[in-house]
Amino acid sequence: MIHQPPAGARDLLPLEVAQKAWINDNLQKVFQRWGYQRIVTSTLEWLDTLTAGGAIDRSKVIQLQTAESQSLGLRPELTASIARAAVTRMAENTFPQRLCYRANVFRQPPRGDHGKQMEFYQAGVELLFAGGMLADAEILLLLAETLAAVGLDDWQLILGEAALGRSLLEPFPAEQRDQVRLAIAHLDRVGLQTLALTDELKAYALKIFDLRGKPEDVLAQVSLFDLSNQAKTSVKDLKALFELVQNSVEKPLPIVLDLTLIQTFDYYTGIVFEAVNFSNNQSHVLGQGGRYDKLLGLYHPQREDHPGIGFCLNLEELHTCLLQSPHLPHQTQENAWLVIAKAATDQQAAFKYAEKLRQGDEVIRVELELGGRSPAQIYEYARRSNIARLVWIDSTETNIEILEAE
Amino acid sequence: MLTIAIPKGGLLPEAIALLQDIGLDFSAFLDKKNRQLQITDPTGTAQALLVRTHDVPVYVEYGQAQLGFAGYDVLREKKPDVANLLDLKFGGCRLSVAVPKSSPYKNPRQLPPNCRVASKFVNCAKDYFRELDLPIEVIPLHGSVELGPITGMSEAIVDLVSTGNTLRENNLEEVKVLFYSSVRLIAHPTSYRANRYDMVTLIRKLEQVL
Repeated sequence: MIHQPPAGARDLLPLEVAQKAWINDNLQKVFQRWGYQRIVTSTLEWLDTLTAGGAIDRSKVIQLQTAESQSLGLRPELTASIARAAVTRMAENTFPQRLCYRANVFRQPPRGDHGKQMEFYQAGVELLFAGGMLADAEILLLLAETLAAVGLDDWQLILGEAALGRSLLEPFPAEQRDQVRLAIAHLDRVGLQTLALTDELKAYALKIFDLRGKPEDVLAQVSLFDLSNQAKTSVKDLKALFELVQNSVEKPLPIVLDLTLIQTFDYYTGIVFEAVNFSNNQSHVLGQGGRYDKLLGLYHPQREDHPGIGFCLNLEELHTCLLQSPHLPHQTQENAWLVIAKAATDQQAAFKYAEKLRQGDEVIRVELELGGRSPAQIYEYARRSNIARLVWIDSTETNIEILEAE
Repeated sequence: MLTIAIPKGGLLPEAIALLQDIGLDFSAFLDKKNRQLQITDPTGTAQALLVRTHDVPVYVEYGQAQLGFAGYDVLREKKPDVANLLDLKFGGCRLSVAVPKSSPYKNPRQLPPNCRVASKFVNCAKDYFRELDLPIEVIPLHGSVELGPITGMSEAIVDLVSTGNTLRENNLEEVKVLFYSSVRLIAHPTSYRANRYDMVTLIRKLEQVL
């Protein structure tokens, strides 16, 4: 029998680990500079915890059974776990809470797939117990800064507003509202045209369908609608948010306001966004997030609602977009040394010399030659392992040899 | 460059004519000697991929083509995550249940439980009979579906019908229409939201010439 990872799972080998760690380390540094503290939650959760928010369908969770037949799931995202921890174990802490994470998540592929990826790596933040425009602005600016920190300039932020999206659908009769919402969320314009709506409502639905583009244009268009008071407030808040965000940075964020970016479930309550990139003829969703002011209440022992907002970045997507980047490490062994004892009697001296090298200020990698190889084989090994410096040790002298890079 | 996936076969001439109406010329695909699967229009504004009808939504879903011409039948069968923007009003046909003329069953509901139904549209067939609460076995075929009942392999078929000639010539009878289909303009959702290559302008032009 040949042991292989399951289709959809994989091993990451050292170079890929080094590259993804470089990306993630840089993201985490920015999170920390903004005051976010890392939290580690459980990989396993009760299935009910994972699906409580309504955004995660049970069929998308890889499930496990306990011996007592209770259902556990591998987390498909971190927000549910962090929300659970924040309102229970961290309830005594000061507010707001700024938390960040780096973790793997798991998703059950759809039925009939042919090896879709099941395990993903994410880095993200949650800003909890903080509502309002300033918190929204912080999250958007933080997202822009993290992408800049890994050298990604060419991206776009597609941003919607869940509460405004919901208000816009209020004029539809209750029994058709879900169909309209489904058609708009899935960009099904033809489906919208074939719904049994009055001509007036159909025209209105098609106008909603086109609410997408430059923020100022879209806000101007939607302001012409006969809006509810709540919707008017949302429009005003969005306008103020964009002004605050765009005037707080030198380079304005590349925002596309898309009021059709709505979900078919009630999870998000405010802004909702995706950061996307189109490089190498591929489309990448680099990250996504939004405001969820009703989520913490689901996990709170007394069901108290508290606001929250966050985003997560998808490491695989970032990695693919950055593969050509000169900043990404392109070999694993940088600054590597190999210490070789010429004879058995020189082995102690070799260990001592290697230790001396490791104590230096500079971070270097020092390997010991474990013997049984001819000098020619040692040179071949050093060449193939990107080891530039060889230290030959015998009882009389220590000879440092620097190999030419190829 | 904006990339459009267009279907090989019977839908191709009309797809090309429609694109010509908005100034994009991919008529090189109609040349019998042409073997190229990817060409750029003479003005250099867009390129087209020539793919099988069932593969159009695949290229669009993965974003290698931002736009595509896909039959509604294919969209119903594959349920891809794509934006469904315009009914292009050509390639009209219907997905129907058909049985041999000599069959005692004149309505899908009369088919015996656990009978066999041959189809290229496995998911559509399954969904339809599930709605009827009639357990059947779908036999997936890739073409010449009419042979299913003729050879006795299946009691019925679920297949596309445009004129009905093929059914008649094979002594089959249409007993139920599941849905009507025509060609749709589909788009990669994220590219559409970001209005990549200003595709919205092109979509408006297409809508105007319909």
